Amino acid sequence: MFERFTEEARRVVVLAQVEAREAREPCIDATHLLLGIAMAGGPGGEALRAVGVDAARLRTAMREVGDPGNPLDAEALAALGIDLGRIREAAEAAFGAGALDDRVRQGRRRPSGHLPFTAHSKKALELSLRAAVRRGDGFIDSRHLLVGVLDAEEKRADAVLRHVGADPGALRDRIAGSDAA
Amino acid sequence: MAGSTTDVTTAAAADDPAVGLRAIRALRELADRLEALQVRNARDRGWSWQQVADALGVSRQAVHKKHARSRKER
Repeated sequence: MFERFTEEARRVVVLAQVEAREAREPCIDATHLLLGIAMAGGPGGEALRAVGVDAARLRTAMREVGDPGNPLDAEALAALGIDLGRIREAAEAAFGAGALDDRVRQGRRRPSGHLPFTAHSKKALELSLRAAVRRGDGFIDSRHLLVGVLDAEEKRADAVLRHVGADPGALRDRIAGSDAA
Repeated sequence: MAGSTTDVTTAAAADDPAVGLRAIRALRELADRLEALQVRNARDRGWSWQQVADALGVSRQAVHKKHARSRKER
């Protein structure tokens, strides 16, 4: 599949990886792909800009929305006076390292090397291939990736888009509509 | 021990629904993960599903449905 990626679509994936790493997140999710699309400066980014979405707004929204897919949120718990670090220590003392981690998120123990994709971002990549095939394109560019991300319906990506005032469904229809034209 | 920054956060955020609701969600997630640990431990120590359910104050079906699936237990 990656061999069909345009240079710019490859850049999306690289940028998504950088964003995930800088946010100290263990996996590349569809929201990181969205950020990569916004930054790569291709047709996907243009489609986002057309509805007023850019990388800076996405980053702010990601911070404000948090991660609905991984709500074990130390900052949110601190607002209740709960110290997640201490609970984590106690849980690990009783039940072993990583006891409190979600099984899906245990890639956290890999500070270097490539970050894995989440199930949703993997699905987004697959669906981008399908979007390309549907249009009869022999390549996958950032616009196909954007359709893939929207079709994958990751909770976090959808919530972030709504937070910046872009309805994921409407955006999807808009792109599909311009395909038909 | 939680520190003064926590107190400031609590004071500043008390009436912001976005922060409050996000905290509730985090709290639920934390409870769920701790529950998973405790149920696994109880089962490893030979507790029956009924005993686990009684301790949690829920039905045996509920606790079984929630926890047995992920552990491939019958």
